[in-house]
Amino acid sequence: MKLYCLSGHPTLPCNVLKFKSTTIMLDCGLDTTSVLNFLPLPLVHSPRLSKLPGWIPKDGTMNLEKRELLDLSTIDVILISNYHCMMALPYITEHTGFTGTVYATEPTLQIGRLLMEELVNFMERVPKAQSATSWKNKDMQRMLPGPLKDAVDVWTWKRCYGMQEVNSALSRVQLVGYSQKVELFGAVQVSPLSSGYSLGSSNWIIQSHHEKVAYVSGSSLLTTHPQPMDQSSLKNSDVLILTGLTQMPTANPDGMLGEFCSNLAMTIRAGGNVLVPCYSSGVIYDLLECLYQFIDSANLGTTPFYFISPVANSSLEFSQIFAEWLCHNKQSKVYLPEPPFPHAELIQTNKLKHYPSIHGDFSSDFRQPCVVFTGHPSLRFGDVVHFMELWGKSGLNTIIFTEPDFSYLDALAPYQPLAMKCVYCPIDTRLNFHQVAKLLKEVQPLHVVCPEQYTQPPMTQSHRSDLMLELQPPPMPYRRCSVLNLPFRRRYERVYILPELAQSLVPTEVKPGVSIATVSAVLHSKDNKHTLQPPPVPPTKKRKRVMEEPPVAPKPLLSGAVPLEAFLATLQKHGITEVKVEETADGHILHLQAEDTLIQLEEDGTHIVCDNNEPLRTTLRDLVLRFLQKL
Amino acid sequence: MDEECVSLLPRVCDVLAASGSSLPDDTSLEKLLDWFSAVTKSGVSLLEVSPCLLGFISSVVSSRASESSIISFALKLIGLVAAAEDGFRALQETSVLDLAFDPQHWREEGLWEDPCIRIGWIHGFSTMLQHRQAFSFFVRADSIKPLLQLQTDTSLFVASAASQMLTQVLMFCHPLSSGFNETEVDNKSSSSSITGLKCPNATESDHESAAVVTEILEFLKRRMLPKEPSQLHQSQQILKLLASILSQAGPSLQNKLLLTVGESLEELVASNYSQLTRPLMDVILAGYSSVGGDVKVPDPILSRLLSVMLNQREPPDLIHAAAAFLCSGHDNRIHMEQSAGILLLPVDIITSLTLLEGNFTVKEHQLSMMEQLKNKTSCVSMICISLKYIPKITLMAPDCRPCPPASVVGAVLSLLRLCSGLSPPSVAGCVTVFRNVTGSGKVQKCALEALSALSSSPEVKVMLVEVFTLLIEYLNHPDSDPTVLQKSYQALLKWIGVCSNLSSITNQLKQDLTQVVRKRVCDMRWEVRDSTVEFLGHLAGLPACSTEDGGVCDISQYVLGGCCFTTPLLMEALHDPESYVRASAISALAQAMRNSWRQGAVPTKEQAEIVTQLLEILSQDTEGFARRAVLQFFITWFSSYPSCTSSPLLMQSVRSVLLQGCADLDWEVKVHTLDLAELLMDQAFLGQHGYTKGLESHPAQPHPYAVTAKQAYTLHTHSGTHTLSSDLDGLVKQGLLSVLLSGLFDCDRPVGLKACRLLIRLKDALLLRPQDTTDAGKTDPGLNCELLSQGWAHEIRNVLGMEDRTSGTDAHTVTINVCDLVKCLDLEERLDVLTRSSDHFYNSPRSLLQDILTAGSAHAQQDSQLKEEVIVDCY
Repeated sequence: MKLYCLSGHPTLPCNVLKFKSTTIMLDCGLDTTSVLNFLPLPLVHSPRLSKLPGWIPKDGTMNLEKRELLDLSTIDVILISNYHCMMALPYITEHTGFTGTVYATEPTLQIGRLLMEELVNFMERVPKAQSATSWKNKDMQRMLPGPLKDAVDVWTWKRCYGMQEVNSALSRVQLVGYSQKVELFGAVQVSPLSSGYSLGSSNWIIQSHHEKVAYVSGSSLLTTHPQPMDQSSLKNSDVLILTGLTQMPTANPDGMLGEFCSNLAMTIRAGGNVLVPCYSSGVIYDLLECLYQFIDSANLGTTPFYFISPVANSSLEFSQIFAEWLCHNKQSKVYLPEPPFPHAELIQTNKLKHYPSIHGDFSSDFRQPCVVFTGHPSLRFGDVVHFMELWGKSGLNTIIFTEPDFSYLDALAPYQPLAMKCVYCPIDTRLNFHQVAKLLKEVQPLHVVCPEQYTQPPMTQSHRSDLMLELQPPPMPYRRCSVLNLPFRRRYERVYILPELAQSLVPTEVKPGVSIATVSAVLHSKDNKHTLQPPPVPPTKKRKRVMEEPPVAPKPLLSGAVPLEAFLATLQKHGITEVKVEETADGHILHLQAEDTLIQLEEDGTHIVCDNNEPLRTTLRDLVLRFLQKL
Repeated sequence: MDEECVSLLPRVCDVLAASGSSLPDDTSLEKLLDWFSAVTKSGVSLLEVSPCLLGFISSVVSSRASESSIISFALKLIGLVAAAEDGFRALQETSVLDLAFDPQHWREEGLWEDPCIRIGWIHGFSTMLQHRQAFSFFVRADSIKPLLQLQTDTSLFVASAASQMLTQVLMFCHPLSSGFNETEVDNKSSSSSITGLKCPNATESDHESAAVVTEILEFLKRRMLPKEPSQLHQSQQILKLLASILSQAGPSLQNKLLLTVGESLEELVASNYSQLTRPLMDVILAGYSSVGGDVKVPDPILSRLLSVMLNQREPPDLIHAAAAFLCSGHDNRIHMEQSAGILLLPVDIITSLTLLEGNFTVKEHQLSMMEQLKNKTSCVSMICISLKYIPKITLMAPDCRPCPPASVVGAVLSLLRLCSGLSPPSVAGCVTVFRNVTGSGKVQKCALEALSALSSSPEVKVMLVEVFTLLIEYLNHPDSDPTVLQKSYQALLKWIGVCSNLSSITNQLKQDLTQVVRKRVCDMRWEVRDSTVEFLGHLAGLPACSTEDGGVCDISQYVLGGCCFTTPLLMEALHDPESYVRASAISALAQAMRNSWRQGAVPTKEQAEIVTQLLEILSQDTEGFARRAVLQFFITWFSSYPSCTSSPLLMQSVRSVLLQGCADLDWEVKVHTLDLAELLMDQAFLGQHGYTKGLESHPAQPHPYAVTAKQAYTLHTHSGTHTLSSDLDGLVKQGLLSVLLSGLFDCDRPVGLKACRLLIRLKDALLLRPQDTTDAGKTDPGLNCELLSQGWAHEIRNVLGMEDRTSGTDAHTVTINVCDLVKCLDLEERLDVLTRSSDHFYNSPRSLLQDILTAGSAHAQQDSQLKEEVIVDCY
């Protein structure tokens, strides 16, 4: 069993598991942090941005952290754990010869599609006149400014995919429900379990009859909107692959949420606007729910909330229809019937308004002071770029970062100098180290595999030894491009026996409750299923002869062990006295010196080495046989 | 004892003797006993007043059918009667004493197993032991043996009572030991007893005493050492007893005690049973405390024991022992230093600050302490104890304390930084310990409390900036829980309060503070908003401080920028959905505006707006807290404004407040309304003949629901140019009279009481006016008030015998003379009724006796008629 690690990013994993002749890709997250090296794509021409020294607006390409470790066309299936971890799907399934199937839950597919559409939309609505690639030449790159000249593997950075590729990639997705068992080629069974992180997010169990691998990626134990995490099904795994822990181990989500609300209220009260760069699904639902309760206590009843995204409407509406994927509280609301999320009420009362972009209706409805939720959190593309240009100059306004994926200082770099207040309260509800330690204690996997980042304290807080995984035995760390041999050997395989063959068996009881029988059969293997079939009937023309001969009784089977002392005594009785006994790792070697013969007595075999003395050999054989049972 | 009770008592005794199960409730016997002891204390002999008791006692003690609760009651009653010598003799003549106090008798009856009999036996005996005769009886009956057994009784109550009685017996045997030397004691003890009566046979009595003392001491010595862990409880009991004896014993008895049990104590101290640490320390400290008078040096045994406790025990025990010693306040330099060192050790280890440099005796424990700190529970508990006593250490004499107070403050700050993960541990070995305190709310709270307390230590003001910085960090920390934030605010206030010079606070820090306050008033959690608003109020209430240029400045002004920062935040908080926050905001506004009121500044537009909002809250807020706070606001305003009448805004609003306040549904709001009315009266009448100021007339009478006014009101002297009539007229116009009258007829007793007292003062002022103005009692045509058709006006009409013509069209308002009114109301009788608590009747002994009789007769009836058990479910 091997694990190929294609991504070094612990929260955007991409691993390939080779297990029992199947090749399974676990997630394909897209690390877009490389966009921070580019200039923002403004919706309206920005003289300021175009005149920035040392910055050249060119193209918005993406980083794809993949290496040709293996041929992508050999991948049989891709298992997706949540919508953030499937953004690289078109890069894997398109133009690579991929012919397999992608498994994901319905919300993962639908919201994943929204996020991809949004990304494509953000890119395509700001067409670029030209695109340059020659800067990627090593000699040229060396002369570039800042972090760009130190960026590695810029040749692997790819252009953003288009809608056609998205559609084609998503058409390969097959929907699965929690705990549904999907048979893969008869070899393994995969089944998704609720992971509690986002709508439809899942951990995966990959098991054969005798082995169980758990893939835990992006799980949460907090009570937010999704169905709670299913922990018990993870028990008794041989290997547990652990990825997607919180990126902000020191930032407690509750504290951050509080911080978010108080900073928001503080800004509005002072007459400023609040900008929240965020993804259009996920934490935003919790933010809106929290604000729903907070609005009244902070006297924000009249402040408008705007949610601007090409997929804003779909995102808000999708969230309301996936009742079965929600936590119990929200599920029960559906039966009342009430919308599970309170943002429905916010929309109804006109407190929350959503628009596909800043153009159109929005510009006529726009009223300040207000709160704007919009993408993209990298501040490099999407409507957020416009608001940064609009509000950045006033100290009354505040930008509140809630997504932990990008360094907020890097994100803000092209907008400096900035008068706007900046608050960083990253909300990451994924498991923290404390929770993981508790979970692993409960689940008891034999081996844990995790990104190497989790095996040491964070770089910036090297003293926090509590912010790492400490396990016994220690977890197996992986980094980008490593290939791990997972530490367990397959020992058993299930073999089926056909009824007619089973009927012909003659079991003999060796001890109460245990019977054995000899089987002569043909092992038939197909689709990873092994069946014992009766031996082929000999050709018909020979049948007569067979009928004529009496059936040959099968040779008896021997079992048991040869006791040394008793055996020596027997040898002596038969006149063999000079015996030298030598102890070996597996048993004993008896050297019959006068006869120059060796008898090897081992646990699983007995050898008599006796040159050219057939009578002696036969005698010795019979002596040995005396001590063995015959079946 | 009144006649009626005396006449009821024989029947009650019959009922009790007949059956105890028919009591009205299980506290009746206790109440009866309380009453008896009160009667005895007043010097009345129970037997003389009601001889029936003797019969009752003998019948209960000798009857085989008595209930154990009644027997227990009888035993206690015997003790009460026999406490007087004549009662004792009377009882002895009937030989009831021998029977009652013979445990064997109760054992034979099968009743001794019942703890209530045993407790009755102990209480009876201990009440009785007031004179030599009783003591002789005690000795002759050989009661010391059962008493010693009871000391380790399975019932905790019995065991504790037995311990108390043993102490009492010992003190009785050694009555005058304290303060006298041995010879004096010997001379006097033979001839004196507690009651001062001569003992018939002095030497015999001495022997008796000595024998008892020896027996008790031997018992202590024998039972103190546990032979196996299961006997630890017994040792604890013995140690408790020992501590109780030592704290009461004089030097001679103490010497004797320590000589007898010293060896066992030393063995126990060395045995390292951690459960015994506290009781052992209690014993040692009790020994220390009783060293008084001329004897300065404690017994060498005690000193030795203490050294062992502070040196050779396990770290958690060391900490407890050190805390106990430091807490006791004994002035023993060596041990003080040792204790202080031990208490500082956990903090020293965790913060790696060298607080204990050179203190080698304490440093010996470093390794074992470190091991203990690795365990989370013991780590948190030890640090919390340590933090609790740290402020005390800084108050020790400079040559005695292990390190300067500023270093201690520094250590607490470091600890707080570690707790919130703000800084790394400096020594690699402490990682586990560090993990135990990171994020621990308990340690944070204790450390913040310690920090608050440290503000008043000497030589710590240099740390102000550091403290300020850390507290702001804490206030800003997203994960701080509401209590931690509250404690941070409290600590900040304390530090600001004690530092008269705040010039070291940089502008950056001030800016950070304003920023964090601005954020916290918008917090999601109402507790946090509440503490923030409270903080603003308290800060405004702090006295002025000096600034860097040598000037004097209002602290709130200096630190936060004053009202222009505070007031808008507080006004915003008036709309908070949580009533506590609204109430706190109102109080804080009062604090913030107090200064401008004191200076008599003309109310600004903003203040007028606040007043409008407050009146709105008073009339519309659904929660009592906010409305009460509004009343307090106006009370503060009224009492701090130098000349109330000169502020039309104030006088105008006071009228509305009175009108709305007395119509409120909340009794506290109404009482506060009356407080305001009182201030009005004080202001109008002070200096008038016959008028007594409120706080002088009833200084020690808080109203019966026991909510006391927080501040003493400063009253303004009367200018003297107005006459009483014109003043009163003004008050009537303000609505004062309607407030008082409606209060008088209020169904809440505190309101009625307060209103009644105020009306009496008003009446006194009116009727005792100097003759030259108007004749006393004569009606003054000018002093009229109108009775509207309100609830209380209806009452008044009834009282005055006026025809109630509410149905008539023009009868809605009746004008009545004020003097007439207050005279007719019979205020004194009303006051008398209101002063008594509403259950005064039900608590009287007569009522108790009647209850017992009624219950008894009901029971008898039931028995004869139904013969069926009726189970009343009380719960």
